[in-house]
Amino acid sequence: MGLFSTTPTSPPPPKISSDGAPIAPDRTQRAKCWEGRDEFFQCLDKSGIVDSITEKGKAEKACSTEGRKFEANCASSWVTYFKKRRVMEHHRNQTLEKLKAEGAKQMPGEIGPGALGQKP
Amino acid sequence: MTKRIIPSRRLLSTFSYYLQPSQPHALSSQYRPLSTITLVPLTKPRTTSPSCPSPSPSPSHQPHTISKRTYKTVQEQQSRYKSGPFSWGAGLLFLGAGAALIFFFRFEKDRVERERVANATKGVGRPKVGGEFELVDQKGRKFGSEDMRGRYSLVYFGFSHCPDICPEELDKMSQMIDLVTSSPRSQKNTLPPLLPIFITCDPARDTPAVLDAYLSEFHPSLVGLTGTWEQIKDVCKKYRVYFSTPPDVKKGQDYLVDHSIYFYLMDPEGDFVEAIGRQHSPEQAARIILDHVGDWKVGA
Repeated sequence: MGLFSTTPTSPPPPKISSDGAPIAPDRTQRAKCWEGRDEFFQCLDKSGIVDSITEKGKAEKACSTEGRKFEANCASSWVTYFKKRRVMEHHRNQTLEKLKAEGAKQMPGEIGPGALGQKP
Repeated sequence: MTKRIIPSRRLLSTFSYYLQPSQPHALSSQYRPLSTITLVPLTKPRTTSPSCPSPSPSPSHQPHTISKRTYKTVQEQQSRYKSGPFSWGAGLLFLGAGAALIFFFRFEKDRVERERVANATKGVGRPKVGGEFELVDQKGRKFGSEDMRGRYSLVYFGFSHCPDICPEELDKMSQMIDLVTSSPRSQKNTLPPLLPIFITCDPARDTPAVLDAYLSEFHPSLVGLTGTWEQIKDVCKKYRVYFSTPPDVKKGQDYLVDHSIYFYLMDPEGDFVEAIGRQHSPEQAARIILDHVGDWKVGA
């Protein structure tokens, strides 16, 4: 894997605030991370992969560049969080489809993307 | 029995037929020469005119026979008769009063419902959301629950290293604040403007300086609060906020905090009013806040 060892796999170290604590990613860093995430997930969609954690080998084979970019722009905890959320949202959508096929009526109101897991 | 009743009825009907004075029939015309002779012997004998069929039209009785309403024309009287007791004015008044009543009852219903929601946490034996606390704001100054008194405040719990939901919600919060403060309804209000508060669930990483840098990207009026892990745990418990930060994190460790994501609207007495969730758009949330702020009465 000498080819990829030169590319960074984690975002640059965070800026340190005046009281010595690392500052959280700002708006532009967040946008960059989300962009990397969306590209990676688009690639996963094309390859038909839902869970990139359990199907790690397959995901690395199909979307290695996107995966590297994603990991380079997001903190590792964010990467795992987004990957897990993708699986959770997939299951949720499947359940909704199933319910719709069974003739369930949608109740008024919306389900936000974070409403089910209530992860931050 | 029947034989006796039938002739008597026929007799009565003939009597009543003849006794009707307005009917100019043979009998009254027979009487007429007699009455004209006896009652008005000196005046010129009247000719029987169809317009005045009354048997004794004395001049003193004239005002009583005219009804109190006077109509200029026959057409007017006929139209009056046709429309009956209803008129356009009465109809409009009826509809207007009905619409006003419906509007009033709907408005009152909404207000009473809001009052019920707002008072659900007031009084004894109610579930208490919120309470006393003493924390530090993003400039390092002390900030406690006392500083929230006298104005409505919107409290949100989160942490700065939050991947996507907190920044989205904070952007929404900024929109809500702008919508509420720019609304003409809040300009009428005597209360100080809405106080937006962000309380971190991650005190280990969110020092005042970190919060200052983080919140500077959102609304300038936001107050960011932090403290020790115990203090934060205590506030979260009082606000019924669930969060899970490992209490013994190493420096530089990368982790996420799981927490409840609601905006808590608190009234000027520090009591919980309503929770605003992710399902509300900024416009809906601003309307909810403005409705509650509008209901507030000093000393109520």
